[in-house]
Amino acid sequence: MQKGVFDDFVREVMQSREFVAPVKGDQTKEVQESFFTDIKDPSQIEIGQLTYFPIKYYFFAKKEVLFSFHKNRIEEPEIDIPERVFFGLRLCDLNSIKHQDTVFLNNGFRADPYYQARREHSLLIGMHCKKGDDHCFCQSIGLKDFYDLMFFDKDEHTYGIDVGSEKGKAFVDEFRRFFEEKEEGYITPEDKVTINTFKLDTTNIKNLWDNEVWSSLSEKCTACAACNNLCPNCHCFTVEDEVEVGDVTKGQRVRKPAACLVKGFTRVAGDHVFRDDLVGRFRHRIFHQLEFFRDRYGETMCTGCGRCIRGCPAKIDWVTGINTAARKQRGGQE
Amino acid sequence: MKIKVDIGPYKPEPKKIISYKREAPDSFTIRLDWQIEHGPGQFVFCSAPGIGESAISICSDSRNYVDLNIREVGNVTNELGKLQVGDELLVRGPYGTQYPMQDLKGNDFLIIGGGCGVAPLRGVIKYIDGHREDFNDISLFLGFRSPEDALFKDEHEDWDKRHKLFMKFDKMEHENSTACYTGSQGFVTDLVKQEVHDNTNKIAIVCGPPIMIDKTVEILREKGFHDDQIFLSAERLMYCGMARCGRCMIRGKYTCVDGSVFRLDHFEDE
Ligand SMILES: Cc1cc2nc3c(=O)[nH]c(=O)nc-3n(C[C@H](O)[C@H](O)[C@H](O)COP(=O)(O)OP(=O)(O)OC[C@H]3O[C@@H](n4cnc5c(N)ncnc54)[C@H](O)[C@@H]3O)c2cc1C
Ligand code: FES
Repeated sequence: MQKGVFDDFVREVMQSREFVAPVKGDQTKEVQESFFTDIKDPSQIEIGQLTYFPIKYYFFAKKEVLFSFHKNRIEEPEIDIPERVFFGLRLCDLNSIKHQDTVFLNNGFRADPYYQARREHSLLIGMHCKKGDDHCFCQSIGLKDFYDLMFFDKDEHTYGIDVGSEKGKAFVDEFRRFFEEKEEGYITPEDKVTINTFKLDTTNIKNLWDNEVWSSLSEKCTACAACNNLCPNCHCFTVEDEVEVGDVTKGQRVRKPAACLVKGFTRVAGDHVFRDDLVGRFRHRIFHQLEFFRDRYGETMCTGCGRCIRGCPAKIDWVTGINTAARKQRGGQE
Repeated sequence: MKIKVDIGPYKPEPKKIISYKREAPDSFTIRLDWQIEHGPGQFVFCSAPGIGESAISICSDSRNYVDLNIREVGNVTNELGKLQVGDELLVRGPYGTQYPMQDLKGNDFLIIGGGCGVAPLRGVIKYIDGHREDFNDISLFLGFRSPEDALFKDEHEDWDKRHKLFMKFDKMEHENSTACYTGSQGFVTDLVKQEVHDNTNKIAIVCGPPIMIDKTVEILREKGFHDDQIFLSAERLMYCGMARCGRCMIRGKYTCVDGSVFRLDHFEDE
């Protein structure tokens, strides 16, 4: 694609679909950090940096109505889902969507119908990231190619585009006039390189379970759960009933994201809390990210985006913590 | 675009209550007109619309009905306590692992339960009674707070006839109470200490409060039991039953899917 036609392309897509892309936060408004939103004009798009906020809530809604009820009568919900094109996703964003797909669609149980509906009406277009910032460590994870289309910044005038799925191919066909056919191998391995300056030495942390690193890392943690909320992979949830004022027999059963750093995450009747200590909760999150998910599904859940470190008010850098602990354990020099 | 969602996996179905029995001051057993394939140890979700959903173990073993024993400990369970025969209850299930009864044929069974942990064990007892020739000696070790709190009192005499029933109560305030068939003061763990001598061809099934499970496991190991001879049930907060909400996770295992019945050698606590 010629960069000169990009804005026209976006405008044309916007005729029939919502166009969701990264935009800058506004210092004067409520959301001061960058995020994904449905843009009204191509000039809003800001692909220079990783968004502060994750993409996940487009699929894993902040509040999903599972059904409404009146006494024992249950009614299926109607969800309003526009046809959406997501643009400017980085490979870490895309892999996090892949992991959510695993949990909500491909975990061996019946697909989650709400998530499925949202995913089916979406097209994922990536924008290759050449260099991460101080907190990016995606190269330590081993991300997979996962997208409908991926844009590469070929040169001053051109985007190279890799088609990653049938859906992507159909989309290119629909907007044919903006794309040019290229030969096989046009996107080179060099195009796919991403440079990181930050690094997680190992995702194998099984033998760090009893390590003192967890108490030192969680020392400054306030259990604010910013890491859970900003993580594009965290997908745990709560289900609760919301009733109408004045008639408790009418209401909705809703699902909302839940944060494992918060004490109430494992609270049961009698006020018993299974994961009572913050050290254990901190360790649980990292273990789920690096070990538990892989044990089950064969892939590391963490995608190395670093949002949890960037957004941590206590500036807890668990990556460096683990690197140091692992090195110590191997008997190396600090 | 407005899309009507088929809520399939989260949709509870109304089932009629065909009997209701108060077991103890804070617990009751209901029978639902519900025909499902299930195995001992599995559980279902019961809804009290407007309040929430609770995981409850199946305490029967029948293709014709489902029995649930519910202890009133909070919002949902208190609301469920108000149900009456003829009412409908919203349920979904079954979920979770079962005791692998097929693989355990030919063994002696030690069925060890504390408090409301006895409920799922009743399902095991019912299963064994239905397949009696497959199993050898069955010993039941049950512990409750007091004779009044004992579950399934009507069935104790029968259990004692068919098997060996041992009971202990934390307190025996009502010494002369006829509430219970038999038993004396003490802990269920004392029974295991006294009555179990070796691990030969024995399977132990333990269900109850965490501390009781821990103590029992310790004693069984002392008696020579290997971890693959011991089954336990874990209880955690649960919202989905489908390895998604993450609330029930114990060191990477989903209690709702990998449990709630675990063979001890497959279970690692945090
Ligand atoms: C696999 C499994 C089997 C169970 N079997 C039985 C049984 O046979 N009989 C019985 O009486 N109880 C059983 N329980 C415990 C029962 O689920 C809780 O006592 C019940 O959910 C408490 O809900 P509540 O609203 O009354 O209490 P509240 O304290 O008001 O709880 C509010 C919410 O927290 C959740 N919750 C609270 N405590 C628990 C808990 N211990 N486990 C799971 N979720 C909880 C529920 O979702 C509930 O909606 C079982 C739990 C599990 C996990
Ligand atoms: S109950 Fe939701 S993951 Fe187990």
